[in-house]
Amino acid sequence: MADVHSFESMAALDGEGLRYAIFLTGCPLRCWYCHNPDAWFPSGKNVTAEQAFQKARRFKPYFKHGGGVTFSGGEPLLNADFINETAELLHGEGIGYCLDTSGSVPLTDSVRKALDRADMVILDVKFPDPERYRLYTGGDFSRFIEIGRYCTKIGARLWLRTVVVPGINDSEADMEQYAALVKEFKFERYELLGFHTMGFFKYENLQITNPLANVAAMDRDRLDELQRYLNSILHPQSKGN
Amino acid sequence: MTNTTAWRGFREGVWRDGINVSNFIKLNYTPYEGDASFLSGPTERTNREMARVKELLIAENAKGGVLDVDTSRVLTILSHEPGYVVDKDTDIIVGLQTDAPLRRGVSPFAGFRNAEQACEAYGYQISDLVQTEFKYRTTHNTGVFRVYTDTMRKARHAGVLTGLPDAYARGRIIGDYRRVALYGMDYLIEQKKLDKKRLGEKDYLDEATIHLLEDLAKQLEFMAQLKTMAQSYGYDISRPAENAREAIQWLYFGYLGAVKEQNGAANSIGRIAEFIDVYIQRDLDEGVLTEEQAQELIDDLVIKLRLVRHLRTPEYNDLFAGDPVWVTLSLAGVTGEGRHMVSKTSFRVLQTLYNLGSSAEPNITVLWSEKLPQHFKDFCAQVSIDTDSIQYENDDLMRRMYGDDYSIACCVSAMKTGKQMQFFGARCNLAKVLLMALNGGKDEKEGSQIAPVGTVYEGDVLEFDKVYAAYKHYLSWMAKLYVNTMNIIHYMHDKYAYERLMMSLHDTDVERLMAFGVSGFSVVVDSLSAIKYAKVKPIKDERGLITEFDVEGEFPKYGNDDDRADLIGKDLIEYFYKELCKTPAYRGARHTLSILTITSNVMYGRKTGSTPDGRKAGQPFAPGANPMHGRDAEGALASLNSVAKLNYACCQDGISNTFSITPDALGRDKNDRIEHLVTMLDGYFQQDAHHLNVNVLNRDKLVAAMNDPTLYPSLTIRVSGYAVNFNKLTRDKQEEVIARTFHEKM
Repeated sequence: MADVHSFESMAALDGEGLRYAIFLTGCPLRCWYCHNPDAWFPSGKNVTAEQAFQKARRFKPYFKHGGGVTFSGGEPLLNADFINETAELLHGEGIGYCLDTSGSVPLTDSVRKALDRADMVILDVKFPDPERYRLYTGGDFSRFIEIGRYCTKIGARLWLRTVVVPGINDSEADMEQYAALVKEFKFERYELLGFHTMGFFKYENLQITNPLANVAAMDRDRLDELQRYLNSILHPQSKGN
Repeated sequence: MTNTTAWRGFREGVWRDGINVSNFIKLNYTPYEGDASFLSGPTERTNREMARVKELLIAENAKGGVLDVDTSRVLTILSHEPGYVVDKDTDIIVGLQTDAPLRRGVSPFAGFRNAEQACEAYGYQISDLVQTEFKYRTTHNTGVFRVYTDTMRKARHAGVLTGLPDAYARGRIIGDYRRVALYGMDYLIEQKKLDKKRLGEKDYLDEATIHLLEDLAKQLEFMAQLKTMAQSYGYDISRPAENAREAIQWLYFGYLGAVKEQNGAANSIGRIAEFIDVYIQRDLDEGVLTEEQAQELIDDLVIKLRLVRHLRTPEYNDLFAGDPVWVTLSLAGVTGEGRHMVSKTSFRVLQTLYNLGSSAEPNITVLWSEKLPQHFKDFCAQVSIDTDSIQYENDDLMRRMYGDDYSIACCVSAMKTGKQMQFFGARCNLAKVLLMALNGGKDEKEGSQIAPVGTVYEGDVLEFDKVYAAYKHYLSWMAKLYVNTMNIIHYMHDKYAYERLMMSLHDTDVERLMAFGVSGFSVVVDSLSAIKYAKVKPIKDERGLITEFDVEGEFPKYGNDDDRADLIGKDLIEYFYKELCKTPAYRGARHTLSILTITSNVMYGRKTGSTPDGRKAGQPFAPGANPMHGRDAEGALASLNSVAKLNYACCQDGISNTFSITPDALGRDKNDRIEHLVTMLDGYFQQDAHHLNVNVLNRDKLVAAMNDPTLYPSLTIRVSGYAVNFNKLTRDKQEEVIARTFHEKM
């Protein structure tokens, strides 16, 4: 049983192919730039693994080219037991899954199992140093490192993602720092996402303070420029993107 | 019949012994698995002709949508001298409905008053000559209203039965225009004469036989006229076409004659691409045609198809917005033997959207199958993403019921080409029938008694079983009235506005389909779901009629892949279809049903009071089988899955679904978007879904276009089984399109 924020039957960006995304609530982090703050809190919508599986399997006709289920959130690995239980059922039907995680949870046996059996892991590289990590997310940098290393150790297909926020992590020096940090990970691609303001209304609805209320959306061209720069300095084993 | 010149090099088969175009195509087309890289751009000549077309379109737009009307005479096959877009030497494929491009003719056969009003709406007067000609002539419209019962009139007035083809020509009939090219008119005339002779020799000439004999006489008269029309352009179509240019020209003459004779709601051209490809490929092989010239031929045919016009009243435009003709052109699909039918000409037709720019017409319809070659699927997806101009229908599903040589008429109506025809029947407003059932047969708006007297629902809360029983009772009554109304309409249309030329390009023993339709589908499904799963309190007005509803609690909504709601819809349609079938249809027609509203969902909504799903009086319905705007909350594929559950066996006239997604939600880059769209289409159709209109665009773009039409003058979008130029929609329809669900990135 897990508390579900929502289901999205066509997530075409979070992994390969067309994906059925299950957004689980709860998150150990409080990222300043979070665009889903509503997923921090329980929705009251409790779903069993069987129910989630029954919903997801309906989309099997669309799961080609690597498509499947994506567990996202919130932080999905807070519900690793639920994921493992659902995954069992999905695998029985030949459906794979992808984890969209910040890596902000302790590496328990259950989390290991969820990572071991995933088709792919999309890992958020929030900040390249423990200080900024703590400041802007409230989380523990060492947990992220531990999970990144674990994925590398088990040979998981790993995609890295970083949200770039104007004035916070949008310099060439930041990119160099990120590149140095991920050097020890084995990953397929590293994608930068631009900070956007489309989630602002959620802060208002929830009546919680939006620490970046005065920050504008990331400029598209500048983001592309940073992505190119990052690609150019990344470890050669990465394909870049 | 043998013809050594015209048929040189073609593989022999039964097509030589009698009319059988399907056999000819299957023996002679060249399947193509490659990609789009062979295609040619527009020639200098094509660009010159298109420049002229663009001038004309701008002028037409500037004059309020109608450039010119020839009121001096009645439009028929032989009424006008030849007309050209540029001139006789520049046009490659020739022929216009009147003597000048975009000059509309007057065709009062379906309804004189209608033609008169259409002229007046654009500042024209029907000439004295035409007035006199029709003074002693009964039109279709007059015939129908002589016979309509009081109940039919009331149902029509209240908008329960609506959009009926009782004042305009019914359309949706597709002549097999390929026959003109393959066999030549003389052979076709000879065959019809033989049919007539054989029929006349029956022992007992009953009414049905005499009717058919007269039909054949009418057909023969117009077949001769078609030859004369072609002659006026300098072509002899009595013989078969001898090369690609002639094949396209002959075929187009057949179509042109049909749209001169008839101004039916939809004038589709059928499944012609693979047929034409046989001729193009032979010319290419013989070295007498280049790829550039082949493309130029297709481009020029499509230019002519884009210029087809009919004169319509403003009321008509309210139903079918954007001045559509539905020159539906179907392509691809698979043969009964499992071979895909994609040819290079399937690509060439799609390429016209690049060479000539995007456009609503012809209504290009891809007959999708999982067996289509990957490169072709990818190209279709690319064209959808770039132009929003094409629609998809499930060949793997339709082939089971219509064989492998069917065409699509209008939006989603399949029929065996040249072997089946359709009696078009507009639609019945299911939401109004539900309100009528709650109000004892009274119209919730005007309060008049339309259906048999029953009791207004008693009780504080609507109980599902009670409501559904009453609803089914009234649906049965409705079904009977609907079939009988249609029987009258089509009896009179056959009598006073028979499609002589189109029907001459059908087999004589044609199979007839009577196509009923429903609107308000998702409104009713959600209403019934609300009654079943939430608490709906009816609120009565001062007349004692239920006109408002108070909905407490949540209920599952159609469009979220939730069986609780979706199966209500499936059951409802199956029930209504069964009820329709209980009343025999005119001329032995087989009943079919569609869930399709064109753009009339706005008008139907206007005529319908508040509904138990929470929709307020006057608000638009969702189009076709679409879930209600914004209620499909679990994303695009869940919405598709809900629609896919509806049973095509009960809806063989089509289940229309229009889908809009933003480019960013479809994928990161062009390649991802193409791959995802193809995967989506495959997955949807694999579940026996029927139809999908695809729009890949941002809502902002539509809002911008609405506020400033000059920004995107040729912005084309798919609406409901067809495409329209967005700028040709009225403001309320534009707003409704913008309000529809756009599947966006989270």
